[in-house]
Amino acid sequence: MKTDLGRNLQVFSIGTLVLALFIVGLTGITQLADAADTYQIDTAHSMVIFRAKHNGVSYNYGRFNEFTGEITVDETDMVKSMVAFEVKTASVDTANKKRDQHLRSPDFFNVKQFPVITFKSTSVSAKEGNTDTLEVTGDLELHGVKKSITVDVEITGRGKGRQGESLIGFETTFTIKRSEFGMTYGMGSVSDDIRITVSVEAVNE
Amino acid sequence: MLSFKPLFFGVLLPAVVCGGLSALVGYLWLRSGEKTSLLWLAAPAVGVGYIVGYLGLEGHPSLPPREGIHWLFYGAVGAMIAGCFWHISRWGRLMTQVALSIVIPWLLLSAMFRYTWGQLEGIVWWACLAVAIFIFWQLVQGSFTALPTGAAIPFVYFGISAGSALILALSGSLRLAQHNGVLAALFAASWIILLLSRLGFKQNSDRKLSTFPLSVSPVVVLLLAGIWLNGYFYAEVPAASAILLAVSPLFARVGEIKTVQRLGTWKSTFVQIGLIALCVCIAIGIAFAHSGFLGESDY
Repeated sequence: MKTDLGRNLQVFSIGTLVLALFIVGLTGITQLADAADTYQIDTAHSMVIFRAKHNGVSYNYGRFNEFTGEITVDETDMVKSMVAFEVKTASVDTANKKRDQHLRSPDFFNVKQFPVITFKSTSVSAKEGNTDTLEVTGDLELHGVKKSITVDVEITGRGKGRQGESLIGFETTFTIKRSEFGMTYGMGSVSDDIRITVSVEAVNE
Repeated sequence: MLSFKPLFFGVLLPAVVCGGLSALVGYLWLRSGEKTSLLWLAAPAVGVGYIVGYLGLEGHPSLPPREGIHWLFYGAVGAMIAGCFWHISRWGRLMTQVALSIVIPWLLLSAMFRYTWGQLEGIVWWACLAVAIFIFWQLVQGSFTALPTGAAIPFVYFGISAGSALILALSGSLRLAQHNGVLAALFAASWIILLLSRLGFKQNSDRKLSTFPLSVSPVVVLLLAGIWLNGYFYAEVPAASAILLAVSPLFARVGEIKTVQRLGTWKSTFVQIGLIALCVCIAIGIAFAHSGFLGESDY
């Protein structure tokens, strides 16, 4: 009997230990998961703008008014961070109705056939020697063509909103060649190089 | 402002290629003692002209085609092949017309099925467009037989294509307008070759040099319908303009009315072309009003 009791106590102790270890492990995993915060892009405080050279003379600017995105930031391990971004091409706005109509047509963005521009990161790493700059590589899909691009993204700030929600800001500027995305119309008057600036404020509620 | 590239690749080069091939077809046809079996050569003459123009303007399209305009290239190849066999069988022609009328909207408007239309709406659009393309095909074929002189046929389609190019330019797609410009150049080249060939037919002026026979109709139908579908669904071509362009070949049939026939060949041709031109002009006017060209500043 005594032996059985001792054996039972031993089994119980081992069981408790395993359970304790499991709980500790689970808490650790939860803490690790907590280290990655997911932010939604606040479109009211974000901008997607682009510029193209007209007739080789001047820069014309435009923006997209509708976009969404999600950013996962892991402060402890930046490699685990992720970015997913979607821009509605029909929301292109250059402050000229006729030019916007032309940009929406099959000559340029072809918005009925390619309603969104998407970007999805495949890797994120902290830039060496600069903790506030990330190197983000991902797939940019524009005009039905998907290409991998690498951009430097600056963390422009962190803070708290009025309701205590966490805020984080990013900005990146990069240049693409529109011809590489099959957008070849009007090369003589509109430059091949298009500089894009994405400045976002993201909220973790 | 038109630059050199679209003028050379979109007008001059396709016109020279089509004109040269049409002249060759005409020469071979005459040498063969006007054998109708040689008529199939006319479809490649126009088709190759368009393909040259397409490659010059756009480069090689992606495979599988990424956008509606890319299908025009493959459509031209398919139409050219169909045209080569157009003279063989009446049933074959009918089956090809039915099959292509069904397939074209499905291929060109895949983005509309994916992003814009619901399942039922998509099926309704598909069915209506298939019927519309089939009817348009009958109108085009009807115009080929109703127009009295050989040269009048490419002239009419030159006018429809040039008008359509203007409508597309007014509707925000200069790229599609260029494709219609290629067609206008091809038809103009065929027309000029036919006019020149008439110099050799002085003794029998009613003969038609067959560089623009019925076998060209698949190329005409597939390319015009393809460009208009792209223009209406992906650019801003007004529905009324698209419909007027599509029904304009119907007015060639007024030549079959006895009263018009009594006017004589030249006058009845003038009536036919005049009514088609009126239809195209109204379509241009609607596109012009719709474009807001007068009200807003250009950029």
